[in-house]
Amino acid sequence: MSKFEFKLPDIGEGVAEGEIVNWLVNEGDSVSENQEMVEVMTDKATVTIGAPKTGKVAERRFKVGDTVPVGQVLVVLDVGGGGAAAAAAPAPAPAAAAPAAAAPAPAKAETTVASAVGDLRETLPGMSKSAAPAPAASDYFSDKPLAAPATRKLARELGVDLRTVSPSGSAGRVTREDVERASSGARPGPAGHAAPAPAAAPAPLPEAPRPASRATDERVPVRGMRKRIWENMARSKHTAAHFHYIDEVNCAELIAMRDRFKPHAERSGAKLTFLPFLVKAVVAALKRHPRLNSVIDEAAMEHVLRHQYDIGIAISTDAGLMVAALRDADRLSIVEIAKEIERLGAAAKAGKIQKEDLGGTSFTISSLGKLGGLMAPPIINYPEVGIMGVHAMKRKPVVKGDQIVVGDVMNLSFSFDHRIIDGDVGAGFAQEIIGYLEQPDRLLVEMS
Amino acid sequence: MAQMNMVQSINDALRVAMRADANVVVLGEDVGKVGGVFRVTQGLFDEFGDERVIDTPLSENGIVGCAVGMGLYGMKPICEIQFADFIWPAYDQIVNELAKYRYRSGGDHSCKVVIRTPVGGGIKGGHYHSQHPESAFIHVPGIKVVCPSNPYDAKGLLLASLADPDPVIFFEPKRLYRAAKGDVPEGAYTVPLESARVVRPGTSVTVLAYGAMLYEALDAAAKAAEKGVEAEVIDLRTLWPVDINTIIDSVKRTGRLVVVHEAPRTLGFGAELLSLVVERAFYHLEAAPVRVTGFDTPFPYALEMEYMPLSHRILPALLDTARA
Amino acid sequence: MNPKLPTPHSSLQSAEIVSALRPDGTLDPAHDPGLSDQEVEYLYRQMVMTRQLDERLVMLQRQGRIGFHVGSLGEEASILGSAYAMQKQDFLFPCYREFGAALMRGLPLQTFIDNMFGNANDTVQGRQMPNHTTCREVGWCSISSPVGTQITQAVGFAWAAKIKRENKSSLVYFGDGATSSSDFHSGMNFAGVFKVPCVLLCRNNGWAISVPVERQTATKTFAEKAAAYGIPGVRVDGNDIFAMVSVTRQARERGERGEGATLIEAITYRMGGHSTSDDPKAYRGADALAPWAARDPIERVRDYLTKKGVWDDAREQALVAEIDARFKEAVSIAERTPAPQLESMFEDVYESPPWHLQEQRQQLLSGPRAPSAH
Repeated sequence: MSKFEFKLPDIGEGVAEGEIVNWLVNEGDSVSENQEMVEVMTDKATVTIGAPKTGKVAERRFKVGDTVPVGQVLVVLDVGGGGAAAAAAPAPAPAAAAPAAAAPAPAKAETTVASAVGDLRETLPGMSKSAAPAPAASDYFSDKPLAAPATRKLARELGVDLRTVSPSGSAGRVTREDVERASSGARPGPAGHAAPAPAAAPAPLPEAPRPASRATDERVPVRGMRKRIWENMARSKHTAAHFHYIDEVNCAELIAMRDRFKPHAERSGAKLTFLPFLVKAVVAALKRHPRLNSVIDEAAMEHVLRHQYDIGIAISTDAGLMVAALRDADRLSIVEIAKEIERLGAAAKAGKIQKEDLGGTSFTISSLGKLGGLMAPPIINYPEVGIMGVHAMKRKPVVKGDQIVVGDVMNLSFSFDHRIIDGDVGAGFAQEIIGYLEQPDRLLVEMS
Repeated sequence: MAQMNMVQSINDALRVAMRADANVVVLGEDVGKVGGVFRVTQGLFDEFGDERVIDTPLSENGIVGCAVGMGLYGMKPICEIQFADFIWPAYDQIVNELAKYRYRSGGDHSCKVVIRTPVGGGIKGGHYHSQHPESAFIHVPGIKVVCPSNPYDAKGLLLASLADPDPVIFFEPKRLYRAAKGDVPEGAYTVPLESARVVRPGTSVTVLAYGAMLYEALDAAAKAAEKGVEAEVIDLRTLWPVDINTIIDSVKRTGRLVVVHEAPRTLGFGAELLSLVVERAFYHLEAAPVRVTGFDTPFPYALEMEYMPLSHRILPALLDTARA
Repeated sequence: MNPKLPTPHSSLQSAEIVSALRPDGTLDPAHDPGLSDQEVEYLYRQMVMTRQLDERLVMLQRQGRIGFHVGSLGEEASILGSAYAMQKQDFLFPCYREFGAALMRGLPLQTFIDNMFGNANDTVQGRQMPNHTTCREVGWCSISSPVGTQITQAVGFAWAAKIKRENKSSLVYFGDGATSSSDFHSGMNFAGVFKVPCVLLCRNNGWAISVPVERQTATKTFAEKAAAYGIPGVRVDGNDIFAMVSVTRQARERGERGEGATLIEAITYRMGGHSTSDDPKAYRGADALAPWAARDPIERVRDYLTKKGVWDDAREQALVAEIDARFKEAVSIAERTPAPQLESMFEDVYESPPWHLQEQRQQLLSGPRAPSAH
């Protein structure tokens, strides 16, 4: 009988240590290869490590709650035969890495502003005010965390928002240890690597402090459409694991094309903005990245892929933000899209939009128009998995060859639900759109 | 100190009480010469005569109704209802009369009556000799409900029940009548009402049980200990008013609760015990409280051991709760 | 025996009915209880008092000043005559229609009226409906609305007296409807088996709310049921206070001699509704009352006393005026008396409140009050 020492591998990317959450085997137990052996939590994820070999558990070197440096012997197995002890190197799935930002493309000078319909605002309800993108992979959030009452009490006492605590207990429960760990982890400590500091956890909803009233205050009840926006935005933010992706588009060719077709469109009775081109580019990219044309079914834990291209168009109205549905956008010409957007915009602003023009979309475009700043990652239009925010075109210096020239640059801010859309997938999709917009002829070439 | 079983200790309690107080009489079916169908009143007829150890007509409402009248007179009748299953004809007298007399007369009248009745299954008694109907009495304001698990407690609690100023329903687990044995002091002593007893201290999970199921809970606790789960087993002894402090103290320590009773689950005493604990120790709970009980069916004859919440059903509940 | 005695149902006329007061105002020596004129006048005053209170309490109820009243109109002799035959140490187990007997035995009028108002001075602390009074001091047991339950209790009380070898008896009132209850059966059976000194008085007033006697029993009389239990059953003219005293006194004496219980069927008639909640017009015609009005238990005694020269209109008016004054004063005091204290809800459930009632009492006291006190 020979001994096999299993050392804690680097189970993330650049993980230095892990904490034992739960032993699933006892000393003396027989284990078969890949049988679940121990749950280890790192600052990225809690993973279950399976036995690397068939054998018997001779020794557990650490107990629940211990922090184990990567490379330390975690467990010793008695394995059959006389093979020499060797460290196994299981290959755990790495956590999704943030995609590298694409290099900015050169641009040509022009001052046209991208605009959907009418009154465009700098930010829209629910849009993140923070310019800094939130951390992606370790940003755990669950709207309805499961936990024993005693654990809930402890969390309150320690000031830990249970919704942000990754659960290690059975059936997805947050355990007392999880809370204690979250509490100690929340304190500032030496950062071993460049992982961004998590944003301060929001206070639990039931304990939201009420602002002190002042005599000069005016209190406006949140009702009707504003209430729906409130609920939808909160639901999205509390369920989808938002990650953001921002890049710029050199709009030289797009402007040229738009200008070329503008008179033609006007003859057909349509006012041609850049938005129809953006829609077309999004639809083309969705066809190449079908996971993005989708919604999620939380209750069923299912990702619902759509084969129709109903694109949401965010429209500002006096009552608040509304998302109208541009149905079957893949079957419409750019001029038809322009007309349809105009129709939807007018109906929405007049408060006469019909039920059939709302809902059921699978990707949304939110244009900030003139007000669009540098970046404003939008909130995903629940239950979709992605959204694109369009910023104003600006004349900016761009590098063309070895020269700095004046170009027309437009920023796009994307948000994706990281639960479904990995970083590289979202980034690839965004680059696809940018590619179409920088070479809009492709839209014609690839038109089916 | 004599070794007695529960039949003997209850008999001893009755004898001690009757010798001490001429107002104490025993009435019921077959309680006289034959000494009761379980022999609990054996020998009392010979010592105290047929005016104090009274074989009555076969009429539960007659027994309890007359006892109420005797109580109004100032006597202390002890009724024996032959099986708890037969108590229902007397339910009106218990609920509307015995339990309410003090209240509805503004304390002008009271009647001191103790109703003894055997309860519980596991004796091949079938539906009409096995029920455990405590919750129907706990629910009634004005009466106290007692259920001992051993000879010492049975005597001490019966004497305490007689000394208590309020009516008491005294449930005797018939499965324990001859099985539970122990040392019982001579003469009078009382075990206070409203006092539960921690029979087995533990840290992992609190188990509330009473009567015959106490032993099943203890058996399960011993087996759980082999698996590293140390259950604290509490014998409630008085079911109502229950010793809330002992229960809450324990649950606050263990954070986990299992309640065991033979009666059907829905609206059984376990439902109240869980509510009391959740109301008072919610933030000490580490796991959802669990009931291990009889099923919501009539008591079955052939399958009684499957119906009853025996050790084999309690053990997994202990382990699951302790590890949840 | 009086062959002209009306009964609730013709089938009940067959057996002998004990009667003392003859139509000519004389007493049948066979059933003359030997009351002095003073005693008869006392009983007469009590009956008038009972009826006057009945009428005034109905008035209060119609005015919304009390919630309920269950009266004894027409049944005064059966109630007061039987109660008069009992002794001070005895216990009476009322149905709920016998407040006149409680007053006669010493229940203070003010205490009774306080009970009708359910105020803080009510001995029952407003816990029961009006007419559900109690007075242990005068041997008056607490009243339970379910019919018949007091029968086994009265038997148990008498049984205890027998065991204790003390000269105490019990008198239990119940209506014809209660003879259908299991407690009637059990009580009669236990009374027979154990030969207890209990007088079981069935006021056969013809009605259990709206249900007539022939729906309660297929026997010709209620008295004959006694035979099934091995005890004597006697029928008596319930509107004849002399006969009531005589028969009840004999029944009590039997018990005292150790001969056991007696069932008395007092034949009378409920001249009013079951209670203030009931309108008998819905189930019986006005003509049913006429024969009974002619045999009114109070007028028969007034005639008797008038003929003897003991009573006259002046005395009658003075008595009514006195009752009226006493009643008004008692009502005035009762109405000025506040409702029972909130805490009283938790008292007397047990001798002292256990932890759960203490906790609930605190919850009530520190919680919001009901929208309006009645």
